[in-house]
Amino acid sequence: MKPEDLYFWDGPLPETQAPTSTPEPWTETKVVGKPVTRVDAYDRVSGSAIYPSDVILPDMLHAAILSCPHAHAMVKKVDTSAAAKTPGVRAILVDGQVGANVPWYGGRSGFASRLFDPHCRYEGDEVAVVAADTIYQAWDAVRAIKVEYDVLPRVTTVAEAMKPTAPAVRDGGNVPQAPPPYSRGDVDAAFKTADVVLEHTFTTPCELHNPMELFGCVVKWDGPRLTVWESTQGVYAVQSTVARALNLPLANVRVIGHYMGGGFGAKLDTGKYSIMAALLAKKTGRPVRLFVSREEACRSMGNRPANTITLKAAAKKDGTLVALQSRVVGSGGAYSEGGTGGVDFVIRELYACPNVKCENQSAYVNAGPQRAFRAPGHPQGAWALEGMMDALAAKLGMDPVDLRLKNIALVSQSRNGNPPYSTTGFADCLREGAKTFGWADARRKPQAPAHIKRGVGVAGGMWQGGSGGPPATVIVKLFADGSANLNMGAADIGCGTKTWGAQIVSEELGVPLDRISIEHADTGTTQFATPSGGSKTAPTESPAIHAAAFDVKQQLMGMAAEQLKLPAADLELRGGEVVSKTDPAKKVALGQIQAFGRRGLLVGIGYRGMNPAGKAVNPFAVHFAEVEVNTRTGEVKVVRFLAAHDSGRILNLKTFQNQVFGGITMGIGFGLTEDRVMDDKQLGKVLSANLHDYKLPTALDAPADKTVVVVDLHDTFSSTGAKGVGEPATIPTAPAIANAVCHAIGVRLTDAPMSRARVLRALAAQKPAPASQKRGE
Amino acid sequence: MLQTFAYVRAGSLNDAVKQLDGPGARVHAGGTDLLGCLRDDVMSAEKVVSISRLDDLRGITPAADGGLRIGALTTIADLAAHPGIAEKYAALAQAAAVVASPQLRNQGTIGGNLCQRPRCWYFRGDYHCTRKGGDMCYAIGGENQYHAIFGGGACWIVHPSDTAPALVALDAKLRLISAKGARMVPAEKFFVLPDENAQKENVLAPGELVTEILLPPMPAGMKSAYRKVRARGSWDFAMAGMALTLTMKADKVADARIVLSGVAPIPWRLQAVEKLIIGQKLDAKLMTKAADLAVVGAKPLEQNAYKVAMVRGIVAEGLEKLL
Repeated sequence: MKPEDLYFWDGPLPETQAPTSTPEPWTETKVVGKPVTRVDAYDRVSGSAIYPSDVILPDMLHAAILSCPHAHAMVKKVDTSAAAKTPGVRAILVDGQVGANVPWYGGRSGFASRLFDPHCRYEGDEVAVVAADTIYQAWDAVRAIKVEYDVLPRVTTVAEAMKPTAPAVRDGGNVPQAPPPYSRGDVDAAFKTADVVLEHTFTTPCELHNPMELFGCVVKWDGPRLTVWESTQGVYAVQSTVARALNLPLANVRVIGHYMGGGFGAKLDTGKYSIMAALLAKKTGRPVRLFVSREEACRSMGNRPANTITLKAAAKKDGTLVALQSRVVGSGGAYSEGGTGGVDFVIRELYACPNVKCENQSAYVNAGPQRAFRAPGHPQGAWALEGMMDALAAKLGMDPVDLRLKNIALVSQSRNGNPPYSTTGFADCLREGAKTFGWADARRKPQAPAHIKRGVGVAGGMWQGGSGGPPATVIVKLFADGSANLNMGAADIGCGTKTWGAQIVSEELGVPLDRISIEHADTGTTQFATPSGGSKTAPTESPAIHAAAFDVKQQLMGMAAEQLKLPAADLELRGGEVVSKTDPAKKVALGQIQAFGRRGLLVGIGYRGMNPAGKAVNPFAVHFAEVEVNTRTGEVKVVRFLAAHDSGRILNLKTFQNQVFGGITMGIGFGLTEDRVMDDKQLGKVLSANLHDYKLPTALDAPADKTVVVVDLHDTFSSTGAKGVGEPATIPTAPAIANAVCHAIGVRLTDAPMSRARVLRALAAQKPAPASQKRGE
Repeated sequence: MLQTFAYVRAGSLNDAVKQLDGPGARVHAGGTDLLGCLRDDVMSAEKVVSISRLDDLRGITPAADGGLRIGALTTIADLAAHPGIAEKYAALAQAAAVVASPQLRNQGTIGGNLCQRPRCWYFRGDYHCTRKGGDMCYAIGGENQYHAIFGGGACWIVHPSDTAPALVALDAKLRLISAKGARMVPAEKFFVLPDENAQKENVLAPGELVTEILLPPMPAGMKSAYRKVRARGSWDFAMAGMALTLTMKADKVADARIVLSGVAPIPWRLQAVEKLIIGQKLDAKLMTKAADLAVVGAKPLEQNAYKVAMVRGIVAEGLEKLL
């Protein structure tokens, strides 16, 4: 994966101006790190926060999309005559109309098609869009459109798609050229001489993001200028895509995304809907609201590709890993070749291992395209790697924590030049986590004779991103009354970005949180920011915020120094006053600094500098799970969970813990319940395109007993030392549960999710566990 | 979005019955299933008759014979929280408590829960299947992990209700009314197998509705329970479940009724198992025998054989727990 893929930006990333002054890392903090309640908590829970889907404008029309009901079809004819006569209809757009033939690329790396491409490559490809006075009228009109399809042979599984006789999803074949295999050392030689060699095939589910707020926007034209209120992780990414599609100057596209109800990677960029809404608004001269339905979201708005991962591992008797070899197969759907992206990263990187080979094979199928999904590829890779580590531990008769501690990597083995990690808390996460969890005792606790079996498991993980980096530009304004304004382009996608941003300003300038206002995620009023994704918002923005506040402080100190006739270095900001460090009697209240009063406002600008050269910056995590397995019904209940995380400095303990809890819950979905079901054998349609058939975990699936252990090694790679946590929080969860299930019932499940059916099947096929897997060893 | 239909709010039961007497009329109680079905084009409606004003159909009251009368409009939440039900008819209270989600239990009614349409994804989806008047059950050759292992044939749906098996086990009766008059039907006789009629799940005639449920007085010493296994912890239908009543006399089973959910197009009564244990001492050996007998005759499809093991497990666990 290239950095651009993580940042969702065309071409080379914009550079930020070099920082003018960089503050030193904090040695102690008064506000940063504290478990502060979200600054917008009241607005979010009371309903006064205006999410994009809440935006109502005068004369606003409502739009609905007609999508192809077939897995593979060619549109022969679209008859909108009846639909155009239904009540309230103001505009209908179909392929071939003036202005509607907009080029489109399925994902940034996808191949060229167009907005209403008549070649429908999956159930959900868009055929027409309607704007009407009400959403009900829009839906009625959609139903009244008559489409003649030429239904084509379809292929919805990778295995079928790779056959030479398979129906062609696209011109140029279903099988994109596989990237060259990753390789270091000599795996074949290592497998020949190793003491222990194991091979397993693991499979993972196709997961749907299902954010609570659906995908869509409200758009409004003012002459040549377009404003888009979009539920997005990145307003600048939306601006770029909309401007490119509609051939508009960037300056004429203002995208606002103050709140958003979940994205998980699926909203890093926009979709066809924003373009359709803009075209409809142009045609009708009225604002248009277009949010897709839950079913459309399940079919068309991205997924985590299902993967089949064959993993072979070899170790010495003492547990030293000597070789890892993986082959990953997956599909990014009809438009994206990214069916295996990110899967092998943990295999290459997490453990010290001299001989590693990773191959990947993707294929196009007639199914909805993938989109980045919280740590793309990593939960799949961890599912395989961490299942394998557990199997190796059993085979070697070693404790799974000890085996992992035996193979800690101190350098980034798959990056050029093998740079050392700025910090790696992986070993500490294992040790501290095991201690707090009571691992050794829990592991040895005798099994109850009843049919409900108990077990504990561990799994580790790391995230490829999480370092952050340029570009980021942040402005902090200090007003004459000592209140402040924080202006940044980044979206707060639910992780608490606004809150810890304000905490940093408060830390640096001593302004109370309730006197800090925040402007963010608006291309019209804030500076360029990459989308909030890749667990990089905190590591990217926090040093820039720190620098901006520091810039204000420097200016203020300069003014106070002049007035007090003291050197600036002798001054510090304390409780709304600038005070001499050496003679605290010498001080001046902010309001009494005359130069500041004359200026009325101080503006500080902070830029995000580069990360130190020759260092790899990554967050690490280790999860511990305790489960109960009902061997009669196949039910798996996660009863206790502990997550140990090295994400550098914690900016806000409360939102940090909540992100980890959310990651655990999502990982429980991966491990136990979630799976997009397609009717592969018949019509190739999605059968689970709703919240009942697609089994998101519920509150009753997540344990109440959850603990977060923070490992902070005082990383100074940036002035805040914060690494990302959003994605690492969900990477090791599912394999930790699987390993606990294996400990409970003595049989390893290699297919996720571990549904009741699979647990019962595994138990039925159970052979007596080898001695080494028995308890107490 | 929905098809066009007339909407009527009935002022009295007589009015409701009159309004429903005609083609294309549908009863609207809680609406949690009806509106979804209309939105998804699972069925059509020319007229939707709301019975929400019929307060007589709401509430739980003692019946003359010492049993209980439950109005069909009683919400599932009220049923789950009623102390009299919890005390004497635990299976029903437990079944109600595990229906769907809190929001749906607050809105959904017991009458609606019995009359809801099946959740088969082919029936609910864009497939013209047997149950919708087509000539094919897509579950047979398709994705059938949640489908029936008993009573299939022309169609392999499972009945989605949790309260239905509890009511069958508790030997409840349903009062039905239509323009032609009222009738009482035992809960057990209310449901219809696909081989009898693959397009309806119960005996309700067009224009007929359930008005109340009568629970008989419970014999002293009778215990009951409902157990549900679902794919996730809440907001889900049964993959398999069991309503069980058990009356012990000394150390022997005097009476028992065992009814499964989630495995057949109707609540699936296990009379052979009941016969096996009645009059017997319920020891570990007999429980194993009972669990084995419970799945005799199961005809799993390609992906749902796990339900055989699951039913065996639920029966064994249920008998052990209730004893």
